[in-house]
Amino acid sequence: MIRVESLEKTYPSRKGHPAVKAVDGISFSVQEGELLGFLGPNGAGKTTTVKMLCGLIKPNSGQIFINGIDLVHRRIPALAEVSAVLEGNRNIYWRLTPRENLEFFAALRGQSPARLRADIDHYLERFNLGEKRDVEARKLSRGMQQKLAIAVALISQSKVVLLDEPTLGLDVQASYEIRQLLTEIVKEQGRTIILTTHDMNVVQDTCQRVIIVNEGKIVADDSVHNLLDLFRVRVYSITIQGQLTPSQRASLLAMEGVVMEEESPDRTSISVRLEDSQILYEVIGILESNHSIIESIDQDQNNFERVFLEIVKGGSQGA
Amino acid sequence: MLKKLLLLQAFLKKEFIVFRRYWVNSLGSMITLYVIFLLVIGGFQGVRAWAGVGGDTVEGLVVGYVLWLFMLATYQDVSHTLRSEAQEGTLEQLYMSTHGLGWVMGAKVVAGFFTNLVLVVVLLLAALATTGVTLNVDFLSLLPLVVGTLLGSVGIGFAIGGITLVLKRIDSYTQMVQFLLIALVAVPAGRVLWMRLLPCSYGSALITRVMVGGESLVQLGLWNVAAMFFVGLIHLLLGFGVYKICERKAMLAGMLGHY
Ligand SMILES: Nc1ncnc2c1ncn2[C@@H]1O[C@H](COP(=O)(O)OP(=O)(O)OP(=O)(O)O)[C@@H](O)[C@H]1O
Ligand SMILES: [Mg+2]
Repeated sequence: MIRVESLEKTYPSRKGHPAVKAVDGISFSVQEGELLGFLGPNGAGKTTTVKMLCGLIKPNSGQIFINGIDLVHRRIPALAEVSAVLEGNRNIYWRLTPRENLEFFAALRGQSPARLRADIDHYLERFNLGEKRDVEARKLSRGMQQKLAIAVALISQSKVVLLDEPTLGLDVQASYEIRQLLTEIVKEQGRTIILTTHDMNVVQDTCQRVIIVNEGKIVADDSVHNLLDLFRVRVYSITIQGQLTPSQRASLLAMEGVVMEEESPDRTSISVRLEDSQILYEVIGILESNHSIIESIDQDQNNFERVFLEIVKGGSQGA
Repeated sequence: MLKKLLLLQAFLKKEFIVFRRYWVNSLGSMITLYVIFLLVIGGFQGVRAWAGVGGDTVEGLVVGYVLWLFMLATYQDVSHTLRSEAQEGTLEQLYMSTHGLGWVMGAKVVAGFFTNLVLVVVLLLAALATTGVTLNVDFLSLLPLVVGTLLGSVGIGFAIGGITLVLKRIDSYTQMVQFLLIALVAVPAGRVLWMRLLPCSYGSALITRVMVGGESLVQLGLWNVAAMFFVGLIHLLLGFGVYKICERKAMLAGMLGHY
């Protein structure tokens, strides 16, 4: 459904800013009906990639095929199969109601609103916007606005839906609701969805497969299941009071299998993957060298957040 | 074709909804514009030069003012859409329309024409009532002339909108376009031939001949009207060309949405 080959994007230099290589030769493909998570730390090139996939940014080189259509050279026909939510709650008209937004964007994407009336009602109910169907979007909660933006992307019937951080800024419940909806929609409608996120709960709940990018390059492309397996080892989470000294921090991070989880003025958490129990003693040794007070040592669940941090830190090629 | 009509219908509906829902804002801007008109009329002696439109008459002033309003509103429909929708985050959605942005903006302009027409007619009536002058409002003759004249403002809107897409900082200077439009309405394109090549100017002269001079479309000479239309189309295409060049730059630099 989507095929990307050697995609590259360098933003040209602007006054005072050097050129930035945001995407550095990535290739991947996505099957119909797949929900792919696109992950990576800040500035990894996720948004840039998504915007190239919806024709809003021109790549320097490389190719994008949507359902076999070359997006770079035949933008409009290819776009018939792509819709996107790029800025959470901002991709809708705030002065129109949910129903009016859905009608307007359906027409914008070449659908006849009359024929879609049933669909519009369906999505309004489905996304729990029924009660608010006639309230201006600016008066809705952020979660509702974001749901509406996703509904707007779905109303166009495009086979591919791109979502850039669909749960950003939402509370736990709203985020959960969106995750549920996305999973259901992929299952029922067979749409192909790519979503970027920093929220590992979203990944673990919804994605079958993830691509992890770092500094514009793909560092892992595998099923969530395999990646978790790959890292299925004993993991300890150690929390100390206060902060690490720079030299403690440096020597810890230099060790294989150590990542920082939380750093705040009064508490620091690190997590340690143990292939060798010796490592735990070394870590504790480093912590004690500065008389850091250890608050707790817990054995961690194997979770995707850790897998992610380790892949990004090591730049290691996952399976 | 049917889809293009549906697109137009969607924009008409949206314009209408927002116009009705936010009529207090519309009323507010109408009042502001009317006050500006009173100031202009009040300072008529001082701005005699400005009123080069169709002679130094109050009639010419009313026509010039109303036409300027229409041109300004049309210009803003294009340039402000490109700017404020970039700010609000909906511009990217317009770009992803399967109609192509040219058609989308076309539909937006046509839909805007009708709401602007309401505004212009109300202010025209207010201006006529205030000044007590009478004008020849021959709709059939005026419609093609107004449309031909507005092509120039759409062109300017595309050019300025495109430039602000790339050079966001230029935004505060675009206020000056308002004054540029006054100049375009006011230059004596009826007498000075080369001025007919300026955007909107010849149309403005022809409209004055109808509204003040009482001439009809046929009396103006169909060739003259056709020439005016042709010049308008050229300006529209030039403006759209500038916009397209800017759009290309913005797509390379990833600046379509961000503000
Ligand atoms: N329009 C732009 N002009 C210049 N540089 C840009 C532009 N947009 C992004 N960048 C740079 O390109 C790199 C990749 O940015 P991008 O927004 O794609 O990252 P991201 O993975 O989406 O990050 P985040 O998680 O913070 O959203 C960053 O270094 C960023 O500063
Ligand atoms: Mg991003």
